[in-house]
Amino acid sequence: MTLLLILPATICILLIFIVPLIVYFWASFHASSVITSFNFIGNESANWSRILDDSRFWQDAIQTIRFTTTSVFFEILLALLIAITLNESFKGKGIIRAITLLPWALPTTLLALSWRWIFNTPYGPIELIARILNIGTINILSNPDITWIATVVADVWKTTPFIALILLAGLQSIPKNIYEAFKLEGGNDTTAFFKITFPLLQPYLVISLVFRIAQAFGVFDLIQVMTGGGPSGSTESLGLYAYLNAMRYLDFGYSSTIIIASFILLLCLTSISYYTLVLIQKIFKLYL
Amino acid sequence: MILRIKNSIKIAITIVTSLICMGSSSLEVNNTINILMPSSFYDSTKELIKKYNDSSKFNIRVTKGPLETESVSDLAISSLLLDHSPYDIILMDLTWLPKYAEADWLFPLDNLIDKRKWNNLEKGAKKGNIYKDKIYRWPFVADMGLLYWRTDLINKPPETNDELVLMAEDAVKNKRVKYGYLWQGKQYEGLSCVYYEVLKGFGGEWTSLDGKVLLNSEESVKAAEWLRKLIAKGLTPKSISNFTENETLQAFKNGDSLFMRNWPYAWAELQKESSKVKGKVGISKIVSEKGIESTSTLGSWGFSILNKTKHKQEAFKIIMYLTSFEAQKYLYEKYGYTPTSTDIYLNETMKKKNPTLVKLRESLEQANPRPESPAYTQLSDVLQREISAIITMQKTVKLALETAHIKSKRILEAAGYKE
Repeated sequence: MTLLLILPATICILLIFIVPLIVYFWASFHASSVITSFNFIGNESANWSRILDDSRFWQDAIQTIRFTTTSVFFEILLALLIAITLNESFKGKGIIRAITLLPWALPTTLLALSWRWIFNTPYGPIELIARILNIGTINILSNPDITWIATVVADVWKTTPFIALILLAGLQSIPKNIYEAFKLEGGNDTTAFFKITFPLLQPYLVISLVFRIAQAFGVFDLIQVMTGGGPSGSTESLGLYAYLNAMRYLDFGYSSTIIIASFILLLCLTSISYYTLVLIQKIFKLYL
Repeated sequence: MILRIKNSIKIAITIVTSLICMGSSSLEVNNTINILMPSSFYDSTKELIKKYNDSSKFNIRVTKGPLETESVSDLAISSLLLDHSPYDIILMDLTWLPKYAEADWLFPLDNLIDKRKWNNLEKGAKKGNIYKDKIYRWPFVADMGLLYWRTDLINKPPETNDELVLMAEDAVKNKRVKYGYLWQGKQYEGLSCVYYEVLKGFGGEWTSLDGKVLLNSEESVKAAEWLRKLIAKGLTPKSISNFTENETLQAFKNGDSLFMRNWPYAWAELQKESSKVKGKVGISKIVSEKGIESTSTLGSWGFSILNKTKHKQEAFKIIMYLTSFEAQKYLYEKYGYTPTSTDIYLNETMKKKNPTLVKLRESLEQANPRPESPAYTQLSDVLQREISAIITMQKTVKLALETAHIKSKRILEAAGYKE
């Protein structure tokens, strides 16, 4: 009976996740491009030897990892602060909660366009402030060294509310009487956070971490609209590179290879982040 | 299996395309021919189209594509991969043609074309329309690299690479200009165009006719070294690695340089009141080594009919209308679009009114398309990166070109091309 009940879900996961993955894996050992009339022809792992030596792929991989780790780190940090604040009772709590969620509800394309204007040189407000402060032009979106930070800012702005929401749900699931008991025993607010809130919040932190890493790693729309992968390829993500190979170069074999390779990288990144979180937890237990 | 992959790709693209198509909402209406054009062409052909629609029972509807060349192709390809394109005609860049033709999206025009009209096209304009012995595209605007020079500073334009360097050195040394020679050095398609011209001028080739990569030749090294020499000697500024057509034009317009490599559109810009070099500019062929014929990179736009179109005859009639003598004359005089047919270049009144026509014709004669391979975009990407590394002194010439050579070969292998 149990097996029968989980069958629909299993079939769903198989169809929308496992099957495409197997297909991509299979396709990554074949040439399928406009040259082969979109037929799949075995090419003896030529795609894989190409990807190992493809500096553009590795540059994009580093950029994607850099983008993912930085934005997820700041998102969780800010979301934790927001969630704790929103968990307190104050006047107009409902409205404030709704407003906080707003950025997340906006379409990414729209906000990417807005951020492009905010960072625009010379008309954007940031440049205006820089001029008033006499810093001179910053050229945020045309300086390969800093443009990626602008994309991180936009991403943090958009997705922090999403994590805040998950963490808020987590905070509300912690029974209030634990804190009361802790205070009776003579504990203060700071230690309460590290001894109670943080450990009990951990499952929610893990969920948001995994969610966000997977999502940020596959970033496409934000980058495509905000920078198009430029300047000089410095903000190009793996998702964008896979898209270019399929849609622009019409090379579906290599595009599949990029997708499988990024999937492997994503697995590594997620496990590293997960174990880092566990490690932080252990350190807290030992020293606080 | 293959079918399944094709289907899954299709489904993924359906979502994207249906969103895009919602905007244009151009489902096939009878008696309507839908043309996809980049937005700049949409604006310039507006009057011609209106005239046609007023007098014909077939209606032309133009879909205004994005401004950026490759985004227009993205839009077209996403609908073509689904076998359900709302367009009948696409205004195509020269470099897209092999890809589209190989994918079997385009209708061969051979049987529709009037031989006399084809023969009336300029030699350079005929190039880049044929793939595997079939004509897939009718040229609309010709475009090729030109050498702009300052008639107030020198008496005649240089013909060889060495002459150009000598003249530029002389002008810079005597402080008559800031720079000697400006070209497009940013890492983008323009850099491939520039390098291709220099490479041909040294007698080299990018790929052979049967699709082999030839970038590890001695000529390719010489060509790249020549570009580097221009920077080392201070004839070209180091910031050239950020120059596109626009930056080049602005600096030349400001009187900062003796020579400039640019496309024909720059001429009209240089004749405007705001130009400091108005009336002091001549155009000439791109330079080459002594004894080697000069080559300009051909970059043109042309109309192709899609395979799935129901009204092929009518579509072709519209193409003929938009590229007729009157239309070309109008577009040349109003927008500076380089004509494609010989009768414009031979027309006495036109020649008298526009003395540059002769020079344009000369350059068009020498123009050559970039490698006509379905994998061109990838090949060009690789070359741009490596040439950019050369001119920004990140890599040695030999290493960069060897890398470009190997990478290009790998791309062709991985994509299924067999030597």
